[in-house]
Parts: sequence; C-alpha cells; structure tokens
Amino acid sequence: MLEDLLIFSTFIKILLFPTYRSTDFEVHRNWLAITHSLPISKWYYEDKSEWTLDYPPFFAWFEWILSQFAPLADKEMLRVDNLNYTSDATIYFQRATVIISELVLFYALKKYLTTNNMKNKNLLNILAASIFLNPGILIYNGFLYGIFLFSLAYAKEGNDLMCGIMFAVLLNFKHIFLYLAPAYFIYLLRHYCFRETSEQGTKKFSIKHFLFLGVSVIIIFLLSFGPFIIMGQLGQILSRLFPFKRGLCHAYWAPNFWALYSAMDRVLIVFAKRFGWTLNESAIGSITRGLVGDVNFALLPQVEANHTFILTLIFQAASLVKLWKHPSYKNFLVSLILNGYSSFLFGWHVHEKAILLVMIPFSLISADNIALFRSYIILAVSGIYSLFPLLFKLTESTIKIVICLLWIILTFMGILSNLNYKRNKIIKYSQNDESKLSYLINIIENTYMYGFIILQFFTGIVHQVIYKDGKYPFLPLLSTSVYCAFGVMYSWIRLSIIYFLGKNDENQEENS
Amino acid sequence: MSGSPKTVDYDEVVISNNDQVPIVVSPAEKWFNWLEQANIGKWSTVITLLFGIYVRWNVGLNPYSGQNIPPMYGDYEAQRHWMELTLHVPMNQWYYYDLEWWGLDYPPLTAYISWICGKIGSIFNPEWFTLDVSRGFESEESKLFMRSSVLILEYLIYVPSVIVFVNWWFADKSSKKRRLAVLFILLQPALILIDHGHFQYNSIMLGLTIWSLNCFFYEYDVLGSVAFCLALGFKQMSLYFSPAIFAYLLGKCLKNKSQGFILFVKLGVTVVITFVIMFFPFLDSIEHISQVIFRIFPLKRGLYEDKVANFWCAINIIIKLREIFEIHVLTKISLFTTLLAILPSCINLGLNPDKHRLIYCLANSALAFFMFSFQVHEKSILLPALPITLLILDESFWSSWFNNIALFSMFPLLKKDRLILSYFIVWFMWNWMGSFVQQDVKPIVLRYISWASYIVMGVIHFFDFNIAPPKIYPDLYIVLNVTFSAGIYLLMLFYFNYRQITLPYNLDEKKGKRKAE
Repeated sequence: MLEDLLIFSTFIKILLFPTYRSTDFEVHRNWLAITHSLPISKWYYEDKSEWTLDYPPFFAWFEWILSQFAPLADKEMLRVDNLNYTSDATIYFQRATVIISELVLFYALKKYLTTNNMKNKNLLNILAASIFLNPGILIYNGFLYGIFLFSLAYAKEGNDLMCGIMFAVLLNFKHIFLYLAPAYFIYLLRHYCFRETSEQGTKKFSIKHFLFLGVSVIIIFLLSFGPFIIMGQLGQILSRLFPFKRGLCHAYWAPNFWALYSAMDRVLIVFAKRFGWTLNESAIGSITRGLVGDVNFALLPQVEANHTFILTLIFQAASLVKLWKHPSYKNFLVSLILNGYSSFLFGWHVHEKAILLVMIPFSLISADNIALFRSYIILAVSGIYSLFPLLFKLTESTIKIVICLLWIILTFMGILSNLNYKRNKIIKYSQNDESKLSYLINIIENTYMYGFIILQFFTGIVHQVIYKDGKYPFLPLLSTSVYCAFGVMYSWIRLSIIYFLGKNDENQEENS
Repeated sequence: MSGSPKTVDYDEVVISNNDQVPIVVSPAEKWFNWLEQANIGKWSTVITLLFGIYVRWNVGLNPYSGQNIPPMYGDYEAQRHWMELTLHVPMNQWYYYDLEWWGLDYPPLTAYISWICGKIGSIFNPEWFTLDVSRGFESEESKLFMRSSVLILEYLIYVPSVIVFVNWWFADKSSKKRRLAVLFILLQPALILIDHGHFQYNSIMLGLTIWSLNCFFYEYDVLGSVAFCLALGFKQMSLYFSPAIFAYLLGKCLKNKSQGFILFVKLGVTVVITFVIMFFPFLDSIEHISQVIFRIFPLKRGLYEDKVANFWCAINIIIKLREIFEIHVLTKISLFTTLLAILPSCINLGLNPDKHRLIYCLANSALAFFMFSFQVHEKSILLPALPITLLILDESFWSSWFNNIALFSMFPLLKKDRLILSYFIVWFMWNWMGSFVQQDVKPIVLRYISWASYIVMGVIHFFDFNIAPPKIYPDLYIVLNVTFSAGIYLLMLFYFNYRQITLPYNLDEKKGKRKAE
C-alpha cells in the first residue's frame, strides 16, 4: 500500500510540472551552478546572484551531487552568470530531482510506520498521505523532512545514538532545525546518557554513552565544516547562515506573535491620531510596504533581535523542564513541537514556511486523542491557509483549494471517524462542572474554523470589488496573517495546557 | 493494548463478487477498500470528483491547440471565435459570417452555449470577445476562463450523467464496484486530454448522450429522445450513435403490440418538435436552412482530411482509392460500407431491444462509423470510446485495451499540441490504477496479442522520439500509428459485434429481479 502511495504521489507531482515556479527554482539553479563550476573555496563567497548559498555545507554537497547529473538535461543551467535561466529541460530536471529526493521522505515514513506498535494502522496511513501531499509543492523540503522523520523513527525505536546522528546530519543540511535542538539535547542527555541503574529508578550518568554521542556528532560537524575551517572561512559561512540584518517580520508577515504585535501597533495608530498621542512618525507605513528591511513601531516598544531570542528561549525552556523529569518518547515529541512553536511564534524574521517545522511532528501525535486532534486541526488549517498567499496566481488557486479539500477529507474525516469511539468517553468526562466551559470552547473553535471560508471570500472576491482602485492593497495579506496568527497562537496554548496539565500520558494510553 | 479494535490489513482483503474473482487487486481497489476501513467510504466519490478536477486542471495548464501559432491558431480559437461571433453578429448571419476564419460549422446548440459563455466572459473582460479585433486573442486570464468553462460544463452535464449511469448499471453490485466504475470512467485519459488539453467541448455531447441512456434505463423514452436530440444539436458527430438509438426505440415500439404505435408517434413528434425549437431561428427560408446543413455536413471535403486511424486511411497504403474514384462515388462507397457494418448489430438490437444490448450496439455503431464513414476526424474515436468506457468493469480487458489504442492513435495530434508529458502521465496513471495490463482474459492468446500491441506502441514511440523519419516518408510514424490502430479497431469491431449478438437475453430482467430482492 505504501508503495502504491509512492507511485500515486509521483504521478500527481509530475502532473504539477507546468504549474507556477517560485523563486526557489532560481535559488537552487544558482546553487547548482556555484557548486558545479566553482572550487570549494569560493562556494560561500560567490555573490553574482542575490540568492547566495546560505545553507550549511552538506546541502552544498547535495547540490554538487545533483549538478553531476545536470548536463544530461541541459548544460546551460550550470553557468554561474546565467541568471534566471529557465529552459524546459532545466525545470524538468529540477522537478525530477525534487521527486527523487523525496524518496528519502518515503523511506523515512515507511520506517516510522513499521517500527512502531501503534494500535490503528489506518490512522498512520492517513498521516502518511497527509504528510506526503502536504509539502508536495515546496522544493526539497520533503527530502529534509525525510531525514527528520528518520531521526524520530530511530528515537521511537529506542536507537538514541542513531537519532542523534541523523539530527546532526540534518542540522548540516539546513540550520533552521536548530530551533528544535534544545529538545533533542535534553532528550538525548536524559534518555541516552543517563541510564537507569536500579529498581528505585535513580539514574546514573553514563560517560560511555555520552562519549559515543558526542564524538559522533563532532565527527559529522567536522565532515561538514572541517574543510572550511581549514580554509579559514568559518566566519564567512556563519555570516551567510545567520543574516541578522533582516527585519523582524518577513515582507508578508508569518502568522506569529509579531504579526499580532504589529497589527496591534497599527490599531493603536488610529487611536493615537484621534487622541493626539505622540507617534514615531517614521514608522507609519514602514511595515506594510513589503520591504525586507527594519521595522519600526509607532507606539509599542521596538523589538530587537536579542529580545526575540530571549523570548524564544524562555518558552522553549518551559517545555524542556517536563522533558527533563520524564524523558519519554512522547514527551520528547511534544516538547519538540513546543520548541518549534516557540521559535515560530517569537523568532526573528520567521518565514511562513517554517510552520511545517511544527506541523509535521504534530501530525504524528494528532491521532492520539480528541484533544490533541482538535489542537492539530486548528494549527493545520491556519498554518496551511497562511501558506496560500505563496501561491498567489489565480490559475493555481483551483489546485491549491482542491488539494486542501482532499487533504482535509482524508486527514480530518479519517481521523475523526476513527476517534469517534473515543468521543463517547469525552462526553462522559464532560458531565461535570466543566461541561459548559468545554461546550463554549467548542463553539468558539468551530466559529473560528468557519471564519476561514469568510476570509477566503473576502480576500478572494469582496476586497477586489470594494477597492477596485487598488486602495489598501495590503489588507488581504494583513487580515490573512493576523487571522491565522490567532489560530496558531491558540493551538499553541491549547497544546501547552494539554502537555503541562495532562497526567502522564503513557499510563493513560495503557489504560484505555 | 486492550480494547483496540481488530483491524484487517487491506492488502489481504479479498472481496468476493459474483462475476469473477479478480486475480490482481488493482491500486484503485485497494484504495477504496482502505477508505472503507478508515470509515470514510462514503466520501469516496467526492474524493474521486475532486481528484478529477485536479487532473483536469493540471492538464489544462499545458498549451491548448494552436496556442501561440498564428495565423490560424487551432480549435481553441474556433471555440473562442464562436463566442465572439454569437455575441456580436445577428443570429441570421451566424452561419454566413466570414466563413474563412473558423466559420461556425456546428449545430445551433453549440452556438447557443457559446453565446452564454461569451456573455459571462464579457462580464470579466469584454476585450476577450471584441468583434474581429479579438481574433487570435491570447492571455493568461482568457485561457483561464475558457479552461474553466470546459471544466464547469463537464461537471454540470457529463459527470452527473456518469454517476446516474453507474448507479443504474451496477445497481445489483457492491458499492465498491460503483465507486471503481466512476473513477475509471471519469479518468478516461482520451477525453481529458482532448477536452482539457487540446480544447473542445466533447463532454457536453457525450454527457447529453449518457443522459438519454439514463432516461431510457428508467423508461422515460420520450425524455431520452429529447436528450439525444440535444446531443445531436450540440455536435453532429453524435450521429454515430443514432442508428443504435433508433434501432432500440423502434424495436421497443414494435415489440409492444398495444402501446407501440402510440409510443412511436410520441417519439416522432418529440424529435420533430425538439429539432424545430433548436433550429427555429434558422428556419426563415429554405436557403438559410440549407446553408446551415451545408455548414454542418461539409460533404465536399475529401474522404478524410488528416491521417486518421480508420479503414480508408489504412487501406490507402495499398490502394489509392482517392485517385481511382470521383468524390461522389467515394461518398456512396463509404455510405454503403458503413451501412453494411452497422446492420448486424442494429438488426440484433431492433429484434431484442434491451438495455445491455443497447450499450454494445452504441459501441458497434459508433466504431463502424469511425472505420468506414466519410470525413472522419481522429478525435471522433471519443464516440466509440464512450460506450466502451462505460463497459469498463464488464469488459475490463477489451475496454482498457481499446482506450489505450484510442489514446495512442491520437498521439500525433497531442504531440502537435505539446501535450506529451500529460499524455503519458494521465495514460499511465489510469492503467496503473486499474492494473488493466495484468487483466486476465480467455483465451490466453488474446493477452499475448494485447501485450504485443503495447510493445509495438512502445517501439513506435521510441523511434518517434529518437530517430527522425526518412525524408521520403516524413509521415512514416503517423502512417504506422494509423495503420496499426486501424487494424486493432477492426478486431475490436468484430469482437463487440460478437459480444452483442451472443449476449444473454435476460440481463435486464435479472437485474430487475435482483434489485427487487
């Protein structure tokens, strides 16, 4: 069945060949050219294109391997100065490499599904389908998330060493996964380096395990960065990898805390004008112009990079405390998700695609119970919806809406009907004083979900009809990101409550 | 692990059915089994329909026929031009106006629908349909509009008709069979590629034909004949079906001794009224109506135009008929052979007018027309493909083989339209979903013949892509394609005639009984 899914997804991906291409195509074409035609020492210095190489060395090597096959399709794409080159052969080649590289995701999923002992196999297949369809459009993400899933699969299996190694490899492909590193660190430390010694459950630090893990991680990093350290280019690479010159929010706000913060500031401006408060005049109009530059706030305090950094760490630390006490796989997964959330919600210059960092691990536990499932729905819908503006052309809207509908039917209906037998239990639970509260919450959540239909209606049609003269061009994007931000924030709070207040999940699962 | 429900692995589920035990469980079957087990079985058809939109839309992103190819462009421009024409030119000029530039040569219903589409399109942007100025107009938005008009009309007419058909045809079978049938029929590659790739509105004509079948199934014969007249009024090509429909209705009239004559009169009056209403604006003078008919049936053109996989084109390799005979002699020869070819199946249906036989007879009649009649287009293979696709689960080996050949025979056309990638994907996906190539069939030799035919197709494709044809025969691959396909069609024609004539006589009654139980 999984093999069928693979064949099927290949068909539907090839069908997508003539669709819209994002700038990612040019980015990766450029990287193919750089790694193929320049010596290693120049990889991180080349800047003819604005899309300089800003991924860690393993990814550069990955591009180098791909570039070895590129001449089969079209040699021209490998010239560094051949900017914005898009022959059919180039595009077919790139799309094909994406599809082939996603085999990694496929085998990771397969491993994840076969190493577990979860009760309902169907649920997992639904998840497989959903994960598979989901990143279909985004370039090489499937490959990276494949490695990520491999590392999770090893963790689930109990093979902590391999889990750590895979994660180290992943970090050297794409450093955005650093956001998840704290959870990995604590989990591996507590679960692998500390071993239970006696019946009392006290744990003892195992130097042997610590060395195993530490040495293998260091070797991987040396493999990746070693040559560049020898050439004395480490500083240059790091400046490429961590460009702090960019602004707080991306041109289009990712639906996170800062989107709400900026929106709040906009609202305050209106009040300020009415009541004559003093304003930071330079800020008005800066944020919505869509430049990847600094952002000024008119009334609220300015936000610096280190503020966001501290906030992120604080929230991450909170989730790690519980992991420290109970380093089980389940807690590891949840704190991974919470780590992802914190960095997405409070991070500096977050790209909206980063929501996948939260959604993919979250989907793995979404089928466990109804509470988690509801949090997941809210996250998934607002997260996916916030990605809609990435595919902005009218021609593609049909495709994206159809894919989303299919995805919703398969995932949500499938999981929901499987959870139905558990729902009876929920009703039993809620016959105490809380019932009214949970009823109210349900209604609010449902209203929020239906709100997306109205939002799509507004951004798609109404806005164009009302403001035919092109006034307020930013309004659809702004309302989308603010509305989605509420959903993402809410699902984060909901998951945190479940995580911190819930009893030890393991026992609950066993008893049910 | 207590309390967990016992789950069965779907791969191991063998669904027993009354007709034949499938040896190969196709991916499509596994898929529906899986949906059933995931408790979302009732969503199956919705998923199929959404997936259908997905495939069609993606095919539609490719170029259409004649995109960016001045001066005449292609079929897309013809359809667009008719919208422009009906919108701005007075009705009595429709069949006269500047015939050199894609003059209207379809019956009036096409014109009316073009007019509606033009009206709606003008709301978005009147520039798409400005008279004369908009000739060869091409833009991203207008393409989007035209593509969605095909999709919407197909989902309004063709898709519901298929669902109703399947519900009647498989009324006594499992719901899984119905779901499978809907999936296979809606993903039939040839229709998707022609309508959404090449650009035409065949699905309207085919949908109206299925609606007339549905009416016949539920014994609304008068309504059914109206639907079929509408199909004729949309595209004259559906005449290929008319002998079968005529034989069926006539047979029914003759069989019913007491009510037969009344039914006959009713049907006759209905047909006349329907046609009069459709053609009413053009009935003001004999000259006008003869112009319309002359436009719709251009008998002055040759026996065939482009290379087409029928008898005349194939035999042309050996005997140059067009050089031996005058055109009016050829017309008579082709008329005579066509009549001869449809006669056995029509007589058989007329004597036993039952519903299962009707579908076979539709296939035979349309295929006979395709093989032997005058002025056949390669796209006309969609007509015999319709009834044969409807039989996809009853005759899965033959039906899928036919569809594969049909698509292959349109390859030269699709290659010209730059649709090669979609052609392969949609085609392979359909075959993969149904595991059609592994289908079991008796006698086994047929299976080998079909495999051999697939190998031949592969070889022709291979040469086509890799080696330029010799200069003396620039059309070598097309001629090979056409001759090969025509040979297989001839075999199919014999087979479906044989099937129709040996079909049991009580299938309809059996179905009625099982339904009642």
